[in-house]
Amino acid sequence: MSELPKRILSSLMVMGAQSPDRAMSIDDLADKLGMGRNAVVSGLKSLIDAGYAKLIGESGTSAVYLTATGIITASSSYS
Amino acid sequence: MWLVTPISITKIAVFNSMIHQDELATAAPAGCLNDSTADDFTAAEADVRRGLPAQEEQSKANYSSPVSAWHRDVLGHNACRILETIAMRIFMLSWEYPPRIIGGLARHAEGLSKALASLGHEVHVVTLDFPGAPYEEAEAPLYVHRVAVDLPAPTFHTWVLLFNHFFEKRVGQLAKKYGSPDIVHVHDWLTVPAGVASKHLMRVPLVMTFHSMESLRSSSSRSPESAMVGGLEWWGSYEAAKVIAVSEWMKLEVVSQFKVPPSKVAEIPNAVDMAKFEKTVDVEATRMKWNVQPGEKLITAVGRLTSQKGFDYLIRALAGVQKSIPDSKLLVVGDGYMRGELEALAKSEGVAARTTFTGFLNEGDLVDAIKSSDMLAVPSRFEPFGIIALEAMAAGVPVVVSRVGGLAEIVEDDVDGLVMDPNSPHSIAKATIRLLSDRALASRLAARAKEKVKAYTWEHSAAKTLEVYEAAIGEARYE
Repeated sequence: MSELPKRILSSLMVMGAQSPDRAMSIDDLADKLGMGRNAVVSGLKSLIDAGYAKLIGESGTSAVYLTATGIITASSSYS
Repeated sequence: MWLVTPISITKIAVFNSMIHQDELATAAPAGCLNDSTADDFTAAEADVRRGLPAQEEQSKANYSSPVSAWHRDVLGHNACRILETIAMRIFMLSWEYPPRIIGGLARHAEGLSKALASLGHEVHVVTLDFPGAPYEEAEAPLYVHRVAVDLPAPTFHTWVLLFNHFFEKRVGQLAKKYGSPDIVHVHDWLTVPAGVASKHLMRVPLVMTFHSMESLRSSSSRSPESAMVGGLEWWGSYEAAKVIAVSEWMKLEVVSQFKVPPSKVAEIPNAVDMAKFEKTVDVEATRMKWNVQPGEKLITAVGRLTSQKGFDYLIRALAGVQKSIPDSKLLVVGDGYMRGELEALAKSEGVAARTTFTGFLNEGDLVDAIKSSDMLAVPSRFEPFGIIALEAMAAGVPVVVSRVGGLAEIVEDDVDGLVMDPNSPHSIAKATIRLLSDRALASRLAARAKEKVKAYTWEHSAAKTLEVYEAAIGEARYE
């Protein structure tokens, strides 16, 4: 996994976006990461394609959260 | 503390088998308290989790004994009276517990907790929440309490420290409701802060189990994060009255790196739930599911897709295996940060068409996959224990493992498996070809392994752990 998606994956977990009701808006995520929205969307795409994250809401107000697989993968450095 | 007699706790299992049937029908004695408010607590927990005030009526008045309604119903009056004097209340702090399975630690926490509860001890597992898992599970005397971390953290390591505070809060709530524990047991650095705080606030002995160590995971890293993890490991080993290591190799590492007196460290191996592997599996259907055709040889590897697991060596070895056994296929079960890298490696090695990455499998599918395999490879760079090897052995599947850490203690080369040089695709390929091309050898190794693994039961691990708890209670200091 390249650095950007890895950083987003880890950030979603530690910021608590681990269920639909705790999903994080992409703007908020970009703000927390100190990155542009487009860069975050680009990094998110590979996480969503891999089944690690899910997007909810309409374009412009969309939010993202980790799937169970995403949580486990984000934690996989330790066990 | 409930240990008011010198009777060995490990005798409970023997005692259970001596109970007469007429005792089972005996009415509940006053001394055997019930846990009838457990459901109330579950409901209250939802409020607590969201930051609302805990209900003050959740007093510990009804929870001053670890002997519950379950004991009363199953054991009867006399047994219950005796059990009250010897049963322990154990707080088990683990960041993973099924269905949150990151690796072997979750299986260990589950197997040990269930076995301790089956011996009559009251076990409270405090762990992190997970999608779809209930916040409270009560199957007395085993209770699982899942904690949500409702505050954001900037990094993984600060998040770990943060969730430890939520664990501390949960421990405090549980102590108020059920009474103080006799033991707090933490697993790896991840729950050391909550364990140490619990020890000093409640003045109860701390036990720490080492499943791995930071110096092994990050041998070349000198990052501040790595230093913090190593520091927490040392702190846990220092504060714990007793330390448990999952293999002899792990014990030596703990003793040498943290200068822990050898007498303070007990070696208690992981175990396997044999019953899980006794189920009948539709091998043909499972193999077809993973596109393994009749007559093809299936090599399976299971684990987190991280550098530690050495799957890159296995993929490189597959190219060599293909030259001798062209109909061999590799099934890689698990997920992790290295997945993309390993998929790319399979392509560059020309074995992508012969390699399937399944991602994480649920427990049922995992057992199916293992039992449908011709062999299981464990090519780890290092492995403090290697619980997956035990599971394959229990399933009657021959194993090829690296000569590292706990794996080398579990598997005897050419007796109950094949042992290969670590970090060597050539050695992996050689052992794999030998195993897949000699059916008699594979059958002999698998049969002996299945016999050997019968000694690795969670009941045995629990009995040994209880001895450690008893010693910890006798030796705990709170300076």
